[in-house]
Amino acid sequence: MAALQEKKTCSQRMEEFQRYCWNPDTGQMLGRTLSRWVWISLYYVAFYVVMTGLFALCLYVLMQTVDPYTPDYQDQLRSPGVTLRPDVYGEKGLEIVYNVSDNRTWADLTHTLHTFYSPAAQEDSINCTSDQYFFQERFLAPNHTKFSCKFTADMLQNCSGLVDPDFGFEEGKPCFIIKMNRIVKFLPSNGSAPRVDCAFLDQPHELGQPLQVVYYPPNGTFSLHYFPYYGKKAQPHYSNPLVAAKLLNVPRNTQVAIVCKVMAEHVTFDNPHDPYEGKVEFKLKIVK
Amino acid sequence: MRQKRSEIYSVELSGTEDIVRTDQGDDKEKYRGLKNNCLERKKKNHEEEFQKELQLDDHKLSNTELEKKYGTNIITGLSSTRAAELLARDGPNSLTPPKQTPEIVKFLKQMVGGFSILLWVGAFLCWIAYGIQYSSDKSASLNNVYLGSVLVLVVILTGVFAYYQEAKSTNIMSSFNKMIPQQALVIRDSEKKTIPAEQLVVGDIVEVKGGDQIPADIRVLSSQGCRVDNSSLTGESEPQPRSSEFTHENPLETKNICFYSTTCLEGTVTGMVINTGDRTIIGHIASLASGVGNEKTPIAIEIEHFVHIVAGVAVSIGILFFIIAVSLKYRVLDSVIFLIGIIVANVPEGLLGTVTVTLSLTAKRMAKKNCLVKNLEAVETLGSTSIICSDKTGTLTQNRMTVAHLWFDNQIFVADTSEDHSNQVFDQSSSTWASLSKIITLCNRAEFKPGQENVPIMKKAVIGDASETALLKFSEVILGDVMEIRKRNRKVVEIPFNSTNKFQLSIHETDDPHDKRFLLVMKGAPERILQKCSTIMINGEEHPLDKSTAKTFHTAYMELGGLGERVLGFCHLYLPADEFPETYSFDIDTMNFPTSNLCFVGLLSMIDPPRSTVPDAVTKCRSAGIKVIMVTGDHPITAKAIAKSVGIISANSETVEDIAHRLNIPVEQVNQRDAKAAVVTGMELKDMSSEQLDEILANYQEIVFARTSPQQKLIIVEGCQRQDAVVAVTGDGVNDSPALKKADIGIAMGIAGSDAAKNAADMVLLDDNFASIVTGVEEGRLIFDNLKKTIAYTLTKNIAELCPFLIYIIAGLPLPIGTITILFIDLGTDIIPSIALAYEKAESDIMNRKPRHKKKDRLVNKQLAVYSYLHIGLMQALGAFLVYFTVYAQEGFLPHTLINLRVEWENDNVNDLEDHYGQEWTRYQREYLEWTGYTAFFVGILVQQIADLIIRKTRRNSIFQQGLFRNKVIWVGIASQIIIGLILSYGLGSVTALSFTMLRAQYWFVAVPHAILIWVYDEVRKLFIRLYPGSWWDKNMYY
Repeated sequence: MAALQEKKTCSQRMEEFQRYCWNPDTGQMLGRTLSRWVWISLYYVAFYVVMTGLFALCLYVLMQTVDPYTPDYQDQLRSPGVTLRPDVYGEKGLEIVYNVSDNRTWADLTHTLHTFYSPAAQEDSINCTSDQYFFQERFLAPNHTKFSCKFTADMLQNCSGLVDPDFGFEEGKPCFIIKMNRIVKFLPSNGSAPRVDCAFLDQPHELGQPLQVVYYPPNGTFSLHYFPYYGKKAQPHYSNPLVAAKLLNVPRNTQVAIVCKVMAEHVTFDNPHDPYEGKVEFKLKIVK
Repeated sequence: MRQKRSEIYSVELSGTEDIVRTDQGDDKEKYRGLKNNCLERKKKNHEEEFQKELQLDDHKLSNTELEKKYGTNIITGLSSTRAAELLARDGPNSLTPPKQTPEIVKFLKQMVGGFSILLWVGAFLCWIAYGIQYSSDKSASLNNVYLGSVLVLVVILTGVFAYYQEAKSTNIMSSFNKMIPQQALVIRDSEKKTIPAEQLVVGDIVEVKGGDQIPADIRVLSSQGCRVDNSSLTGESEPQPRSSEFTHENPLETKNICFYSTTCLEGTVTGMVINTGDRTIIGHIASLASGVGNEKTPIAIEIEHFVHIVAGVAVSIGILFFIIAVSLKYRVLDSVIFLIGIIVANVPEGLLGTVTVTLSLTAKRMAKKNCLVKNLEAVETLGSTSIICSDKTGTLTQNRMTVAHLWFDNQIFVADTSEDHSNQVFDQSSSTWASLSKIITLCNRAEFKPGQENVPIMKKAVIGDASETALLKFSEVILGDVMEIRKRNRKVVEIPFNSTNKFQLSIHETDDPHDKRFLLVMKGAPERILQKCSTIMINGEEHPLDKSTAKTFHTAYMELGGLGERVLGFCHLYLPADEFPETYSFDIDTMNFPTSNLCFVGLLSMIDPPRSTVPDAVTKCRSAGIKVIMVTGDHPITAKAIAKSVGIISANSETVEDIAHRLNIPVEQVNQRDAKAAVVTGMELKDMSSEQLDEILANYQEIVFARTSPQQKLIIVEGCQRQDAVVAVTGDGVNDSPALKKADIGIAMGIAGSDAAKNAADMVLLDDNFASIVTGVEEGRLIFDNLKKTIAYTLTKNIAELCPFLIYIIAGLPLPIGTITILFIDLGTDIIPSIALAYEKAESDIMNRKPRHKKKDRLVNKQLAVYSYLHIGLMQALGAFLVYFTVYAQEGFLPHTLINLRVEWENDNVNDLEDHYGQEWTRYQREYLEWTGYTAFFVGILVQQIADLIIRKTRRNSIFQQGLFRNKVIWVGIASQIIIGLILSYGLGSVTALSFTMLRAQYWFVAVPHAILIWVYDEVRKLFIRLYPGSWWDKNMYY
């Protein structure tokens, strides 16, 4: 009984551990002699090299099977997301607060818009005027690509920052940019251009009047010639169409919730899980 | 603690020592010596204390003094009111059951044992993390709270499950313990009443008749031919006479006290209750036995070892990556979440439950084979047993005297000693046999109990002592209706056996109506019988008994005696009709008839024969590397004879004494090394130091301990345990209970066993058969092997669950698998398959290999861990990652775009994250994809776990040698895995909280090549192990 229950003392344990680390009688380190360690290491190196090789091969095969222009599945991108600029996030979603009289409070916002506009080189893009889908079956553009339609800041007129570098923030009629997420080969509608529609989320009672918005380009449409998108590889110079919404009658000193929806047949905005699908909601408070 | 232990222990020893003196009589000194030997640190004062407790002087008192002392009256008994008062004062007359651990403590133990602690830590970290998040950001997501709650739920569920299993197995036992309440015949208020024995109080006058249990310690007031069986107290099966005389100073040796729980074999006794319940002698032993602590079972040690390994891995990887994460500039809070993920991935939550189920499945299987397992873990202990200390009586033998040999006509005949006696082949034509059989039939007081017409002869209950019973059954089998023969030969007069005469005599009328002579028949100790004879019957004719015939008699007597058999001599005499006419009145007091010059007829020897299944079982034990040691209270000669006949001492091995006898040299000159077997008596044992005992245990393969006392049994068990052996002990008596408790596995006899023995044991043999132990060993070994497989199977996927977290932290991929998903693998898909491995058949003959060394052959050894973690586990991880990458790539995120995407990916404020094709994803769209990734990773692991399950069927043999379809349960397991997976993905795919999504069917097959690779790799591993045993490969790859 005694022999079985004897607890080892700490020094005994240390000694045993030391002996495990280096056993002078057998020349073993950590339970193996040096040559044994070399052997076992060689085995593991070889094993892992082979395994890594196999995995790399698998990945290579995977890459070969993946279409370079179109993803195999788009079931999770049935309807595009919609985003807003400037994008300042509060605790719950977008929250934009600024003081008309204090330009430091909106300098960042306008700065965001300016940087958002600084466009990539669009030299290779073409000017499009048609209001039909711009289908391209073949790669006719240089370097085996497809043409992209030009979208420039000046198309947003008053909200382009060119006319008014303050984007209306100073006068309390701020511009917001609405962007629809790109989805390869996505057709938003059956012929009519998708249109942005902004409104108060809950009609403010004390105002009793709907939100007045001026859209740029006019009517707040995304022209159909920007669709379909053929992917980064086919359209390296593609630039997103944008819609600017200038809010005219935002009440002062109260927070209002505003929703901007994209109205098109194939864009849905009623997914309960995804607040950014087909619409964007934001809170705005203009202090005076 | 240690101190206290040894105190209890010494008290216990001196306690039993006193008891043993009853049968050992004058050997008091020798047991003193033994005690000194075995307990050097013994505490004198405690011994004295116990002695004092036993200062019973009731046996010295006269009846009147007794009446005075206990305030009772021998004729009228106690009054009912007085009895009720005493009952209230002393409590019921029953043994207090051993102290049970309170249920709630048992339950809480399950809640904090094993991995539970780790999971609790994980849960609390979750909540703390949420608390911190909440304090800085009121809208923090509740995910961490859910995860923490799920973890707690897991702990509670597995705890409840383990508790339930434990309770169930305990219930089997307690139902088994329930006995029919004992009744006692008591005189109260001058009336004889039958009351439950529990209500007896001191001073009660009770009457006990043959066949009843003594209901309390009683002082005998009067008795008629009472004999008691003290074997449950002392281990000696010789019935002991009881009378009202005070014969010995020592209360344990005097004849006028009967002890609680012993049995009154015959006669009647009236006595006064002097001790009840726990204050009885048995009560003392029983309560002391519970003081001998329980050793941890080997499997408990193994599981603890395993838990340590896994917990060590989990905690060290967790902390390592916590540090890495912090130094990679992750927020501490995030790092804590990673830590939780790593812990959850590393801990096989379902495993301990699986082990419990596996053990209880085996326990059930063993119960079918008559091994009732009280303590689940004992299932495996039996498998690792390396020494069995077996009792002789009842376990190895049939526990009934049986006629083994006959000697008449100068010849020894062998009688059939098998269980049913059916095949008596010796020559029955001689007329000497006719005479002998007549003596056997007539000179016998034993009778069958009435009402057993349809019971086979060997099973009929008999009133009478063991040898008479043997003779009665023997003659009944050969001659037919013995009662009828006795009726025809009416008994005129008889002198029953007593120890001074050493013979039994009766005179009968003959059944021949023309023969008016009386027949005097006599049986007894052979030498006494021979003295009384002047002639001997050979071939039916009387010859004068001369020196040469006397010599042949002695040779035969010695030979039979040398076989360890009890020999009886038989003689008869036809009384001449002229001297003893029909009307002659015989008087046994004056002995007015001749008792010398009789005619010697023959000898008959009896033995308690071995059970027919035992020799085979012993051989099996031997080939399984288990040493079988016989420990018995019987004579060395008998013990050795039985040991030889069952193979405990094999046919060609000799003891030192045998060699000395063969070479005709003194014992001292024999080279000890030449002897393989040893017969050690209690006398020799008491003079040995523990080193000498160790030497004997280590050097001899075949050992018999004879004439041992119960506490010597304990010393032997300890000696074996000093050899690092796992010791199984069988026993049935109360006195065995300390040894049963001390043993690694105590095995009590279900039929013959006393309750104390059953209480102390871990296992009960329902059929008292040694062979059942062997089946138990086989099951135990199988379960150890299968548990290895189960654990290897379960550990493998831990790496596949862990790698995602590591890669996530280091390479910044979107999280490949969620914590909840991991729990669904550990507690969902993997449970049934891992239980299914318990049904796997043995790979080779497990009874042909040595028992595992309890310190070297671990359940989870380095090879198992390394092979599971670093080989198969890693392959699984790669396979699962492939599925994950495939899903992401086909949705637009090619593998290289994923690297370091984590921060943006998880940012709720990025709702236009670009993929490889330039498409933009909102947060929810990404999250849904992430869940699809979880599901994909889950499916990847699941598919490869199927391969893992198949390869784990064997450790050495090829799967094709083992048979892919022999274990059907495995396929049930695989089916369950797939079905659960399908339900999770397609049935619950829409429940967002579970983060499963509907996965495209083809993704189920992406990991199949990896699964096949795993199978092939493992087959190659096994092939090399089989081809090059003992090689570098074997040492590193065999687990």
